Amino acid sequence: MARRVPGLDRVLGRARLPRRPSALTTKTLADSILRLSPVSLLANPVMLIVELTFFVVAAMAAYPYAFVPFASPGERGFYAEVAAILLVTVWFSTLSDSLAEQQAKNTASSLKQLETEVPAKKVITEGWERQIVRTESTKLQKGDLILLEKGDVVPMDAEVLEGIAMVDESLVTGESVAVRKAPGDSLIGGSKVASDTMTARVAVNPGESYLDQMVRLVESSKRPKTPNEVAITMVLFGLSAVFTIIIASILGLSVTLGLSVDLSVLIALYVCLLPTTIGALLPAIGLSGISRLYERKVVAKSGRAIETAGDTDAILLDKTGTITVGNRQAVEMIPLGGKTEREVGEAAFLSSWFDDTPEGRSVIRLGYEKGYVPRELNALTMSEVYDFSAQTRTSGVKLHFGASFVLPKGSVQRVRRKFYLEDASEQGMHLSGEETEIVKGAPDSFLKSGFKLPQGFKELVDKVASEGDTPMAVARDHEVIGLVRLKDVLKPGTREKIEAVRSMGIRPVMITGDQPLTAKSIASEVGIDEFVAQVRPEDKYSIVLKEQSQNHIVAMIGDGTNDAPALAAADVGLSMNSGTEAAKEAANMVDLESNPAKIIDVVLLGKQLLMTRGAVTAFSISNDVAKYFAILPVMFATAFPALRSLNILGLDLQTAVLSALIFNAVIIPMLIPLAMRGVTFKPSSTMSLFLRNVLIYGVGGVIVPFVGIKLIDLLLGVL
Amino acid sequence: MIDAIQALTVVAILASALISGSLLAPYVVRVLTGAPTRLDRLLDPVEKRVYRLIGADPAVTMGWKQYFFAALLLNVAQMAIAFAILVGQGVLPLNPQGFPGLSWDLALNTVVSFATNTNLQHYAGEATLSYFSQMTAIQFLQFTSAATGICVMAAMVRGFKPGSVHMGNFYVDFVRVLTRIVLPLCVLAALVLVALGVPQTIGGYVTVKTVEGATQTLLVGPVASLVAIMQIGTNGGGYFGANSAYPFQNPNPATDVLQIYLMLLIPTTLIFVFGEMIGKKKETRPILIGSYTLLAVDLVMAFLGSIPVVGPGIETRFGGFFSTFWTVITTAVTTGSVNASLAGINPLGILSAFMGMLIQATPGGKGVGVMYMIMYVVITVFVVGLMTGRTPEYLGAKINARDVKLVMIAFLVHPIAILVPTIAAYATKAVDAIPGFSSLPTSVGFTQVLYEFTSSAANNGSDFFGAAANTPFFNLATAAVIFVGRYVPIAILLALAGSMIGRKRVAQQSLRTDGVAFSVVLIGSILLLVVLTFLPFLMLGPLLTYFQGMVNFFG
Repeated sequence: MARRVPGLDRVLGRARLPRRPSALTTKTLADSILRLSPVSLLANPVMLIVELTFFVVAAMAAYPYAFVPFASPGERGFYAEVAAILLVTVWFSTLSDSLAEQQAKNTASSLKQLETEVPAKKVITEGWERQIVRTESTKLQKGDLILLEKGDVVPMDAEVLEGIAMVDESLVTGESVAVRKAPGDSLIGGSKVASDTMTARVAVNPGESYLDQMVRLVESSKRPKTPNEVAITMVLFGLSAVFTIIIASILGLSVTLGLSVDLSVLIALYVCLLPTTIGALLPAIGLSGISRLYERKVVAKSGRAIETAGDTDAILLDKTGTITVGNRQAVEMIPLGGKTEREVGEAAFLSSWFDDTPEGRSVIRLGYEKGYVPRELNALTMSEVYDFSAQTRTSGVKLHFGASFVLPKGSVQRVRRKFYLEDASEQGMHLSGEETEIVKGAPDSFLKSGFKLPQGFKELVDKVASEGDTPMAVARDHEVIGLVRLKDVLKPGTREKIEAVRSMGIRPVMITGDQPLTAKSIASEVGIDEFVAQVRPEDKYSIVLKEQSQNHIVAMIGDGTNDAPALAAADVGLSMNSGTEAAKEAANMVDLESNPAKIIDVVLLGKQLLMTRGAVTAFSISNDVAKYFAILPVMFATAFPALRSLNILGLDLQTAVLSALIFNAVIIPMLIPLAMRGVTFKPSSTMSLFLRNVLIYGVGGVIVPFVGIKLIDLLLGVL
Repeated sequence: MIDAIQALTVVAILASALISGSLLAPYVVRVLTGAPTRLDRLLDPVEKRVYRLIGADPAVTMGWKQYFFAALLLNVAQMAIAFAILVGQGVLPLNPQGFPGLSWDLALNTVVSFATNTNLQHYAGEATLSYFSQMTAIQFLQFTSAATGICVMAAMVRGFKPGSVHMGNFYVDFVRVLTRIVLPLCVLAALVLVALGVPQTIGGYVTVKTVEGATQTLLVGPVASLVAIMQIGTNGGGYFGANSAYPFQNPNPATDVLQIYLMLLIPTTLIFVFGEMIGKKKETRPILIGSYTLLAVDLVMAFLGSIPVVGPGIETRFGGFFSTFWTVITTAVTTGSVNASLAGINPLGILSAFMGMLIQATPGGKGVGVMYMIMYVVITVFVVGLMTGRTPEYLGAKINARDVKLVMIAFLVHPIAILVPTIAAYATKAVDAIPGFSSLPTSVGFTQVLYEFTSSAANNGSDFFGAAANTPFFNLATAAVIFVGRYVPIAILLALAGSMIGRKRVAQQSLRTDGVAFSVVLIGSILLLVVLTFLPFLMLGPLLTYFQGMVNFFG
């Protein structure tokens, strides 16, 4: 039995940004009316034709005598009605454009608010003097130095130069726990400094950030058409040409065969047959696709990228960040030998401060969460760091208390505020006072190297390991004081998302640096069959190329400079906003929340966009059958009464024309919500999606207008 | 309506065409892919000499432009030769009846018509053409046009085939198709036809005394060989003006059934050839299901009308059933031969005939039928395939904007080529030159004019007018329509196939095109496209005739 797959909305979760209903404001209305000018309709030829026919019928209403024998002067009222509906049809189309653009601007500006003007402290160096100038974020330029103190909002995207601090990025990324930022890390504009002080260099000019680029993408009315939109436009051109030939031929036959067809009726038939529905909604559908990505805080560099996302059939998923929360997370501090949890926590915190691995960071995070921030934190400035070595399989720190310390001159050169004992000794500094040494690492590495092991140590280690977690021992001054439990935490909802993409025929491939056995167990836990283990970041490029050589369309994620070639090579490259500039440049999408699992959402949203476009196109074309049967038989029946038998809707000539035209017009606003929201679908096999959509939009598109036109006809009869 | 036995006859003929088509297909594929065949020892030396003679290098592979222009050039050269023969037949040998040369416009119409596999005849063969003209100009073109159709289809399929790098060599294809497929089949068929009583002689018309004592001239000639190629090659141009309604071209029900079967044979075979050549036999399914289902729809529609046992225009030897059946098949495969007067067929039967010629792929003329079906598949895949949430692919290739543009242009050729001259025929009063036309009811007259140009554009060749349309306007207008209707779509579809060469093919196609589900959607989309385009005109023609309560088109 197939596993149940939840619907798209469940899979994607609620949009992060509040979706603002595009209320019909006066501004939108005015905009939609301005767009009625034939010049601005040049971009939408189908609607331009409709507007031209409006002018013709309006002229018929104004002076019918010029159109004899194709018009009868007694029908001026009817011509006026037809002209009015034609104009309204065009207006509905421009209205949908205005609404979609408004919606896109609204979401974009919600994102922009993250980057509103905030006070900034600019650092001006003159010689050896440093001066702090208070200014606004908008006045900063790329390369300016800024001072960030506890409680400050980072004014612009920047790069840390000096200092280590905890930064709260929750406003920007939704990640609730503060992140440690050290020199070299990037800061996201809008995030908040939670502790400590640092100096940073502004990385962008105002108006250059991705948010700005993105807003420009929306606001530009000359948004380039995507390849897929061009192809659809070709279909619309082709159909319009076919219908133009047909109408011209009927006009010709009307003369030669004496059909006495009224020009306004023929024009009405023409407009009904033209693919007005899809013609009107095509721009709105594309824009809404961009909006839906914005709502999830993903910025696409082009509409084309979103389409390609829909075409993806292989997704390379980094285990870390996508399938699991990180490379093993510290979840518990377990004291041993009569120590308290706090002692273990503080020791682990100190030993992890300089540890940049995800495990190390997770220890810091757990320490913060539990409130185990040690008082010795400031002593870290004078510490000796033991980097992880494969030999000892431990890392740690040696703290010196009570030392005085002066910043050497020319400190700009230093990238890390990390001192090695040797350096300090060489510079002739005297180190005195107490020392404490904290070491953490794999438990077995403590067995032989002369550490004091508390009772029950081995038993506890085995217990943690047997539960599928990784134990990490912490020792202070050569005495093991406890364990930290590291867990590979699966991201919530990942399983469902992977199931969803798999059911749509997309291959998820897990990429991890883990050993194959570990990789396999995690992959199978989330339902992934394929994985590549022991991958170094630079291997990703060759993995992308390998997939592409097997003719797959590949989506991948990345954040490091190492990832840039792979991001550029992949068909869809999603970069993390927290990533390096090189990665962001190489990718064609950036996730502001830096959540690698978004790649799946992006693919599903791309599919939704293509599906919506196809559905409205199919609906629009199938609608023509009913419109033919509404107008044609009654139109020809004037000359050939025998054709009344084909008038299956039982209409009169004028009400037939009006009903079909009204249906043709009102279907546009009725479908605006569908165009803006996108077709809802349940991720499932291509074939069942296909059949479902063909049934709803293709077959439904044939039936609905029969009902609709008849209802409008009855309504007109009542009026 | 028809009875059970008649229904069984229909099913039996269609089934035998399907079975023999599927059996013949592997052989045709061997011929088209250059694999060894049993005829090689006999033909290879001949072919080598032919290639040397025409200066063609069989090792050269062609792109779509080279292939198309090679085909076009050869066809035009053949037209020129045939034109000279027809105009000059008065001074050429084998002319026992002493027929004079044809007028230039009739000759032009005839050669264009025959070189394009259309075989619209604005003349009655027995009263116009010498033996020499019949055997060289007419029959020669019937062979070459049939071979050309198969060749361009092979080229198109090669383009679509994943991993292909060229479209083949036209000259090689042409020679191999002619010598290994068309000729052997025709020899076989002609022998069977002779055995069944169709004459084959160049001895001149025979004058005999009838049992009643009167003298009668029997119009005999090399008929069997021509009938074989006209049906097998879906040409349709008969020896006699009355085509297969004439006893010497179609003496008895056995030859009638055989000719229906022969018409279906190669078009059906080529459907199977498509899947085999592509390397994915399952991809034959949508084309097979699509074309035969639409054919079944046409047959049902035609048989729903009144089927007279005898009546004006209906050949008494076969009756209304066989006449209607033949009419639907001959338009479905764009042969255009007839075994009754079209005017005697009921309006729904004529509506079916229109559908066959407008769709052009039920299963359509040899080669081009499959090409049109691929065109329909591409446009259907594009529009409905989007609804699966991925840029649609066919045979692994993504459908891009240019493909869609080409398909739309190819699709536009038909309405333009049919509607513009139809209106022009009325506007220029050219229709009034046809004897008796002005006395016809509007619906009947319009049906006949529309049919003339639909048949020309679809390269079918059947018509209501026959020799009556031998006027400069109709000769030249239909010649132009035939030419455009043949070569423009072929050029565009070859261009489409050419652009597929070297295109990246996705490993896994999002929407499977080889299943029943897609086939059903394909049928719906073909009907939708064709009905949307031509409904107004069908409504003024055969549908109006039907609703006016007429049983045939004698007015």
